[in-house]
Amino acid sequence: MRATVLRTQTAAAARRPGRLILTGLAILVASFVVFGTVLVQQITERTVRDNLSGTPAVTDLVIGSPGEPPPTVADVRQIRAVPGVAEAVARASAGISVGEGYLNLQADPGTGPLSTVRLIEGSYPDQPGEIAVTPRTAERLGLSVGTTTSGTGGELTAPAALTVTGVVETAADAGYDAYAPDSAVIAWARLTGVERVDLRVSADASTEVVRQRVSAAVAGQPIRSGAEVREAEANAAAEEVGRLFILVGMFVSIAVVAAALVVTSTFRIVFAQRMRQLALLRAVGASRGTLVRALTAEGALTGLVAGVVGVVSALALGYALPAVLRATGRAVSAPGLPLATAVLVVIGAVVLTVLAVLAPALSAARVSPLEALRTASTTAGRRGIGVLRLVGGLILAIGAVLAAVATISQLPKPDQSSYDPAMPLLLLVGSGALAFFALVALGPLLVRPVLAVVGWPLRQLGPLGRMSVGGIGGAPRRAAAVSVVVALGTTLISGVVIGGTSLQVLADREMALAAPTDFEVTGNGATLPPAVVSRAEAAHGALARVVPYRKVDDATLLRGADRLGAVESGYPMSDLDVAVLPSTGDLDVAQGSLDDRGPGRIVLNSWVARDAGLRAGDTATLAVATRRVDVRVVAVLPGDGPLHAGILADPADLDRLGVPSAYTGLLADAAGAGEDGRTAGVRALRQAIAGSDGVGLTVLADERDRNDALVRTLVWIAVGLVSLTVLIAVVGVGSTTALSVVERVRESGLLRAIGLSRTGLRTMLTVESGLYGLIGASIGLVLGVPYAWLAVQALGIAAPLTAPLLPLAGLFVVLVGLTALAGVLPARRASRVSPVVALGTDG
Amino acid sequence: MTTHAPPQTSHAAVAAVDLVKVYGSGETAVRALDGVSVGFGRAEFTAIMGSSGSGKSTLMHCLAGLDTATSGRVLLGGTELTGRSDRTLTRVRRERIGFVFQSFNLLPQLTAAQNITLPLDLAGRRPDADLLAHLVRVLGLGDRLNHRPSELSGGQQQRVALARALVARPEVVFADEPTGNLDSRSGAEVLTILRDSVRDLGQTVVMVTHDPIAAAYADRVVLLADGRLAGEIDKPDQVSVTDALRELAARA
Repeated sequence: MRATVLRTQTAAAARRPGRLILTGLAILVASFVVFGTVLVQQITERTVRDNLSGTPAVTDLVIGSPGEPPPTVADVRQIRAVPGVAEAVARASAGISVGEGYLNLQADPGTGPLSTVRLIEGSYPDQPGEIAVTPRTAERLGLSVGTTTSGTGGELTAPAALTVTGVVETAADAGYDAYAPDSAVIAWARLTGVERVDLRVSADASTEVVRQRVSAAVAGQPIRSGAEVREAEANAAAEEVGRLFILVGMFVSIAVVAAALVVTSTFRIVFAQRMRQLALLRAVGASRGTLVRALTAEGALTGLVAGVVGVVSALALGYALPAVLRATGRAVSAPGLPLATAVLVVIGAVVLTVLAVLAPALSAARVSPLEALRTASTTAGRRGIGVLRLVGGLILAIGAVLAAVATISQLPKPDQSSYDPAMPLLLLVGSGALAFFALVALGPLLVRPVLAVVGWPLRQLGPLGRMSVGGIGGAPRRAAAVSVVVALGTTLISGVVIGGTSLQVLADREMALAAPTDFEVTGNGATLPPAVVSRAEAAHGALARVVPYRKVDDATLLRGADRLGAVESGYPMSDLDVAVLPSTGDLDVAQGSLDDRGPGRIVLNSWVARDAGLRAGDTATLAVATRRVDVRVVAVLPGDGPLHAGILADPADLDRLGVPSAYTGLLADAAGAGEDGRTAGVRALRQAIAGSDGVGLTVLADERDRNDALVRTLVWIAVGLVSLTVLIAVVGVGSTTALSVVERVRESGLLRAIGLSRTGLRTMLTVESGLYGLIGASIGLVLGVPYAWLAVQALGIAAPLTAPLLPLAGLFVVLVGLTALAGVLPARRASRVSPVVALGTDG
Repeated sequence: MTTHAPPQTSHAAVAAVDLVKVYGSGETAVRALDGVSVGFGRAEFTAIMGSSGSGKSTLMHCLAGLDTATSGRVLLGGTELTGRSDRTLTRVRRERIGFVFQSFNLLPQLTAAQNITLPLDLAGRRPDADLLAHLVRVLGLGDRLNHRPSELSGGQQQRVALARALVARPEVVFADEPTGNLDSRSGAEVLTILRDSVRDLGQTVVMVTHDPIAAAYADRVVLLADGRLAGEIDKPDQVSVTDALRELAARA
């Protein structure tokens, strides 16, 4: 008997492999995502390790490490003299002010295995005063092979000549990089110590022996092996990858939860379709246990097939992707073949599917044998939920609330310095999962109230709308099963939309503060010659906006005679007008309003406000040296101030405080776009500076580019991950709608028989399908927005809470549209069936 | 007993003329209807009888515009149904035909009252309040209107289905084995209601059945065998129907 029952169920699955895949599609996608994530992490880590541009691989020993007294120049000579040392390269660097720019002069042999640069033009320098620069540096500073400039740096105080002899390529080109052999760097910059010495042991010597000899030669210097140093560098890089993958792991675990939900509701519907068959088996003597076992076995089979297909497709893609990327010129390493993980993922898929199938199997096996004799159309109408389910659902809901409360209690405090987001995020995921299982359990109770609200406009549209709404409201269990999946998708996307917007606001804010414009020219502590400002203002062709400002570093705040705050040196204060710059014009504030700026009013950054104990609306006395002005705080910024200014004050107040009227710096934007516009701007500013001593130019845009790239990468990763989870949700909606339409083919037949046209039936079913989306999206938004806010807080990056209404509304519309679309094909199929056939369908 | 009586198409509520329905093609083709001509009078209760596979259900499906015939004509009150588009047939079913099925076929998510007015809702018409009240009273559904099908007994469900078929005042009500799923008492109730609707409301009713007891409620019985008309009985009773069926079986 048992074997027969099992055969009836598995034979059906084998006869229709398409349905097996359709049922397990969510698990397939989940396995794909999980294993794909494992592979992507491997690819990323390997790529990071393989492309690490730190210590060359042939380095045998490294003398000196950060935090210890550095090796001296004499040490370098001693090390070179040690027998068995094939090559010893001192790593040293010196920051050099070159006319109006900055160069980072680094020691590199230029040739040989320990070199990290590659000469592409001219010759590599070998004398002090000769340098090789990177292409971007040459472009930025207007240098080329043969150019001679002069600068100061290191221990060198009087300007000395620097001649460019070559152009070199490096792994990372920051735009201010110069290279020379260590001897030349040491001699030119009058260095007495170096950062460390990289050492290669000759082929006929033992590393251990050489290590001991070096240790004896330079007593007290820490010596590490090259492998050790490389490993540490790789681990530091990999740790960043790992941190990123905590976030990835959160999304993946949500995707897995989604898949479990989808597959549970899919099985519920699949079994409901088979209710008569199951009842028949019960009627002829199959026990409940036999049915449960047969149905669970079917679930396990589904999980196995889906898991294997998912893992194999992920593996195929994991190997294809690096190959494709390499073909387009990106160095990406191939992943390994984590067989054990693959097997684990498949086992996980089977276990997850079996767990997901248990509840539907148990309730399906409870079918009364009488059901076989009853007509199918009267069985679908169970509306409420059992006491057990109600209690279970309430417990889950309470658990979700408790976990959320625990998350809130672990959120970072304003002054908390060390904060590990892993635990709160995990709690949050747990709370979200519990909330959704509570939704699964209590869903049927929620459908009708939600439907009463969102279905109201449809009911006004006539009999079709009324029937669609009635059709959903009359079968709340089915509606809940489908809607929960949509709700999950909505929660996820709204979470990413909100998180992305918050991150964007955060990034924009930080960029507006750290790099408000493309360029900054500063007098490096002195004032700018007025000619520099006027020449810059005259360069309309290359510079779009020139905003000069004054900055003092020793402003203090007083109340009466008492100095506020604990900082000895005073606060940096600037009269930069934030409204003039487009990037700072719409700066957000923590308290007060920027519109109230003016003479006698100041804006504080969050740190100064905290240190001085001032809030928006407070009054204080602003002092520079002995002069004082009474001011009112009109706004407090949520983070740092523009150009790291702690106090933003009106120019008139700076005059009253006796600050000299000459500007200390100016900000400017490039007129043209892209690298060309930037280079033109740099040239114009360099001409404006034209040999003025001590005046420096910083290209802030480069920093902004790097940060933008980081934010863009993060957003893309999030979008990629969420689109995978959304894929699961859409798969769920599609298969559930299709199955629910199949389940009701008889109902469709009846409606057609009593006079519903094909178009009418199609419209009705499509509207119903869209209604599932409407209910799900409504519940999803109600849950998703608070959870997203919590997640943003839990990340601990001090991002603001945002409510991007337009994207959320768009998301709502798109999701409802997608679910309606998911119903189009099944609705078409249902409307094509002749009413005679439909009415004759068993079930 | 007469065979191949000329179809009374002129005053018939619904009539078939040389109706042929072939399922499949080639060697495996089955002629479910093989040239049937028959008319069903207005305000008349007709039963279509025959053994399984005699074509009685196919005839009813064709007459009701649920299925399209291979050749021949179907006339509903003078309107040609043959060769009409699905759209037209749908409208005809919605506005001029009522159905009662063996398995009730109520929508589980709608209440009894909503099920009754469903065809009118689809047509965008308001139910005739007097008729609705009359039907509810006659069918004894007064205290069941807000119940769902799952909360009703089989007899009650079929009475709801009857009310649904009658409330739109269709030209013809087609009943497909309406008592097949009911006990004899509930079955008798349903048949009495059908007969009363013919008598009191002037309703035309065509019923497919294989039960002589059910057929005895009808004004006339039309017999089918192998897709052909095999005889008629006027004012049938249980005995005459049973005899006719026995004779038909003997001939086969």
